Amino acid sequence: MDANTVLAEITGNIATVGYGLAAIGPAIGVGIVVGKTIESVARQPELQGRLTVLMYIGIAFTEALAFIGIATYFIFV
Amino acid sequence: MTTTPPRSSAAPVLRLSLLYGAALFAAIAVVGSVVGALVSELPGLLSALIGAGMGFVFLAVTAASILLADRITKGDLLSPVFFALVLGAWLLKFVVFLVLVFTLREASFVDPVVLFVTLVIAVLGGLVTDLVAVSRGRVPYVSDITLPGSS
Repeated sequence: MDANTVLAEITGNIATVGYGLAAIGPAIGVGIVVGKTIESVARQPELQGRLTVLMYIGIAFTEALAFIGIATYFIFV
Repeated sequence: MTTTPPRSSAAPVLRLSLLYGAALFAAIAVVGSVVGALVSELPGLLSALIGAGMGFVFLAVTAASILLADRITKGDLLSPVFFALVLGAWLLKFVVFLVLVFTLREASFVDPVVLFVTLVIAVLGGLVTDLVAVSRGRVPYVSDITLPGSS
């Protein structure tokens, strides 16, 4: 086979992959945050108030990265 | 015996967070629109307002969805409805955000760079106000529990 033969070709903007990655990371993060909160409340229901606040701040930080990652569409394309 | 509905002790902190977020949004909208107008006139002004608004709304949806879920499930965090509302709002928020980003990029009345910078500042500022609200809010160690026979 010739060294210059093209076996597969992808067209489009590679930055699109970045938006997908920007969504996957926080989705996993929020899943872990929520899952651990459920686990903790099941173990110690009396801590529900504090754990809800911690879950909130955890979700807020995790999703901030997704917002910034997806918003890069404004400047990178 | 009082018959007040059980509410999570986290609700005041979330409300405080929404309040601080709204104050930050107002500040970023004012400063951002002035700077945006200086950078690229009307599109810059509009972009700064849209960016600040998007940053506030999308961060506020988290706190608002937890408050709403808390109200609907009467403070039962282990109810499936609670997480259906919180995570459903999260999912819906990202779909709307993606649609808005892809739509606004092509809009003629928007300066993408100003919008991006304002959005990033609003999101990071929102995190700071969330942290301040959480650190100032007082949540007791033991709460939201009903002893057998006390209801």
